[in-house]
Amino acid sequence: MNELFKEFYDIASNPEAQFKKYKDAGKNVVLCAPVYTPEEIIHSMGAVPFGAWGADIALNESKKYFPAFICSIMQSILELGMKGVYTGAKAIVIPSLCDSLKVLGENWKYAVKDIPFIPMTYPQNRKPEFGREYTKAGYERVIADLEKALGAKFDDAKLVESIKIYNEHNAVMREFSKAVAKCEGISAKDRQAVFKSAWFMEKSEHTAMVKDLIIKINGCDCKQGAKVRIVTSGILADAPELLNIFDEFGYHIVADDIAAESRQYKTDTKVNGNALDALTNKFAEMDNCSVLYDPEKKRVNMIADLAKANDAKGVVVVLTKFCDPEEFDYPLVKKACDKAGIACALIEVDRQMENYEQARTILETFKDVIA
Amino acid sequence: MLTLGIDIGSTTSKCVILKDGKEIVAKVLKVAGTGTNGPEEAYEEVLKVSGLKREDIEKVLATGYGRKTYDMADGEISELSAHAKGVNFCDKECRTIIDIGGQDAKVIKLNENGVISDFVMNDKCAAGTGRFLDVMASILKLDIGELEKHAAKSQNPIKISSTCTVFAESEVISQLANKADLDDLIAGICGSVASRTASLAKRLGISEKVYMSGGVALNGGVRNALSKELGAEIFKTEDAQYMGALGAAVTAYEKS
Repeated sequence: MNELFKEFYDIASNPEAQFKKYKDAGKNVVLCAPVYTPEEIIHSMGAVPFGAWGADIALNESKKYFPAFICSIMQSILELGMKGVYTGAKAIVIPSLCDSLKVLGENWKYAVKDIPFIPMTYPQNRKPEFGREYTKAGYERVIADLEKALGAKFDDAKLVESIKIYNEHNAVMREFSKAVAKCEGISAKDRQAVFKSAWFMEKSEHTAMVKDLIIKINGCDCKQGAKVRIVTSGILADAPELLNIFDEFGYHIVADDIAAESRQYKTDTKVNGNALDALTNKFAEMDNCSVLYDPEKKRVNMIADLAKANDAKGVVVVLTKFCDPEEFDYPLVKKACDKAGIACALIEVDRQMENYEQARTILETFKDVIA
Repeated sequence: MLTLGIDIGSTTSKCVILKDGKEIVAKVLKVAGTGTNGPEEAYEEVLKVSGLKREDIEKVLATGYGRKTYDMADGEISELSAHAKGVNFCDKECRTIIDIGGQDAKVIKLNENGVISDFVMNDKCAAGTGRFLDVMASILKLDIGELEKHAAKSQNPIKISSTCTVFAESEVISQLANKADLDDLIAGICGSVASRTASLAKRLGISEKVYMSGGVALNGGVRNALSKELGAEIFKTEDAQYMGALGAAVTAYEKS
């Protein structure tokens, strides 16, 4: 099992090698910025969707385009683009689900001229019929731009096949999360490597690897009860230093509400006729995310329920600094957890963090509170 | 049994020796924090003051920003847990602790058993911390300890930004250029820290009795401004700066 985790870790920690591997194999690579980029469409057109969630790096070039107080994930995506790390990618698809993402798309057009920017403009009101039409029009724009960038034709029948691959991957990732919840020997670092590696792999390849891993996890004799069960929530929680602190203090992440982890795997696409319509309906059916408009804010109770259902003693919100949607939701998440009797801690992170002492202090104290 | 707590902060190092978990035998503070000789000097001096030797101490626990890198201790405890233990040791009635340290601020809620029920730390920013006061005192060419007496004489405090230390610094310089009254300016500076901290405290909700701990607790200007902002009396112990070290010593006793 450890060897398999190492494979995931190697892929997750070296996306450049994966990028090169696909390019050397003659594959077209299309960058997918967060969140909910319609990867299925890209996949169906023969390209490899490749996650672009930025990196923990110093931000220099991108500051020419961004103000100081804006999401560092977006800034680091542009930084990598401007530094040529993504050279060779055929395009980048950037959804419009938060203000920072909108700014990223506009800046990308001017700052990284060799990689075409393809906007995926989602509606705020995704559930009514007019919202679905708007989403579908957005997908059609993506398809038209991809046809230009890739020189490939869209085929709805191929999309059906790609949707099957993505649905299977969703199911496998949900199963993986459940398997981890039963095995506290799996570290936060190992768990995260499996989720992160998915960004950089063609999904059927990743599915096959995760299936093997699940068999091994289910077959191992993991002890339970020594660690503190928690649920994590946020946009991104992949910093190695942060994951090491979770492991150092004996936390066991039994479920997550992280956008870069489980959130994206919650909803499957139900194909019944036209595949593009099915993908449109999938987006309409998606819920429980800070960037998906919901006047009832059902996600806040969902997080508390997720913790209860997994017998977690606490929720750790890993808040990306200057992420407005997450910051707006946090007081409601905290209140919902308090009401449910679930302890809730807040850790602030960004892509430029050098020092994790505050996170260490918070997690050390939180353990004193809940253990 | 003798236990020792050492609180290694960003700007100071504090040591407390406790006898049988009940009686403070000695305490020492050195104005030199993590990454300096401060911790070792504080340790040596507290032994000297008490007439004890290292081997007399049963257990040592470290807390504070430098706790992780201090290898003379038998273990460590987070500064929030330490302050909670320390203040609870001094007053069992305390339900809220506001600890403003050299580079961060924390608000801790205690339940009726004196155990932490919730806590919050400040954003990653110098505003609302001891560092903010250090910067302002430096601009005004004053010792940090002099801020309180100036704030007390103010009749009409000047409003200073609580958003950012850098912005506030330029505001203070502008006010000096405009020949603002020094007392009113310092009262505004204290009010700025209080305003920022009060916002943090209100996130958790205030339950009385409210205590301040940490170095900034000694600044009456901030304490009074905070009391007004929160509408609650703010208490402090004489040993406010030692609450972390004391809490570590208490915990060391409990774990022995």
